[in-house]
Amino acid sequence: MKKEDCFELGIITKAHSFKGEVVLFLDTDVPENYYELDHIFIEINKQLIPYFIEASKVQKAKNIRLKLDGITTEQQALMLAKKKVYLPIEMLPTLNDDQFYFHEIIGFSVSNQNNEKVATIIEVIDNNSGNRLLSVLVNKTEALLPFNDNHILKVDKPNKNIQLDIPEGLLELYK
Amino acid sequence: MARSLKKPPFVHYKLIKRVDEAQDSGSKNVIKTWSRASTITPEFVGLTIAVYNGKKFIPVYVTENMVGHKLGEFAPTRTFRGHGGKKDKGKR
Repeated sequence: MKKEDCFELGIITKAHSFKGEVVLFLDTDVPENYYELDHIFIEINKQLIPYFIEASKVQKAKNIRLKLDGITTEQQALMLAKKKVYLPIEMLPTLNDDQFYFHEIIGFSVSNQNNEKVATIIEVIDNNSGNRLLSVLVNKTEALLPFNDNHILKVDKPNKNIQLDIPEGLLELYK
Repeated sequence: MARSLKKPPFVHYKLIKRVDEAQDSGSKNVIKTWSRASTITPEFVGLTIAVYNGKKFIPVYVTENMVGHKLGEFAPTRTFRGHGGKKDKGKR
């Protein structure tokens, strides 16, 4: 399995108990979708290694405890700590036309309230501080735009364009 | 040590003046500030404040959840932006 054909589900945060269980942090908006998985891919030495799941238990909303096939001791579980976990991209739920994943909109153009194209998206910066930002390129200069539901006016996936309510005077700050 | 309760929350006087003006006029213009230590009060909600992080201005759209926090908390000064890549994250 290649990394390009997968999406990042989360990270194994730590080993749990002496029986070789691990705790998986689900870095996703809808963790409930991943409470009952059959298998996961763990990135070890830049390769994705499949592991079958024998048992799973929800710890917190975004943390699940996994008993992996072949991992029976605490030492083996500790070797998996801090490793990233992936799943095949086919397992991503399909979204409606006005919905998108953050990785999908990279390269989309941004238009303002008057439908004038003003920028191109470089990346979505989501640092869990409650202030999600859109990094965009305006005249070869990087600018940051607030990116909350209140600011998104229209998403046009076929034409690769997002219309945003850009606060007045914000783009002038980066000139 | 926590701030004395007999004092009101600290907000830079120029910033609160601009926020009041923006609220009175209904303007949605970005307010530029270097005052990272200013506390977000309920008057800030709905405004976009450009907070200086030592290098550039970071736009902060103030929501109700941010009230009581400092502006600087939402404008990180370090370059780490979180891990990118394909994730099950997006607009729902």
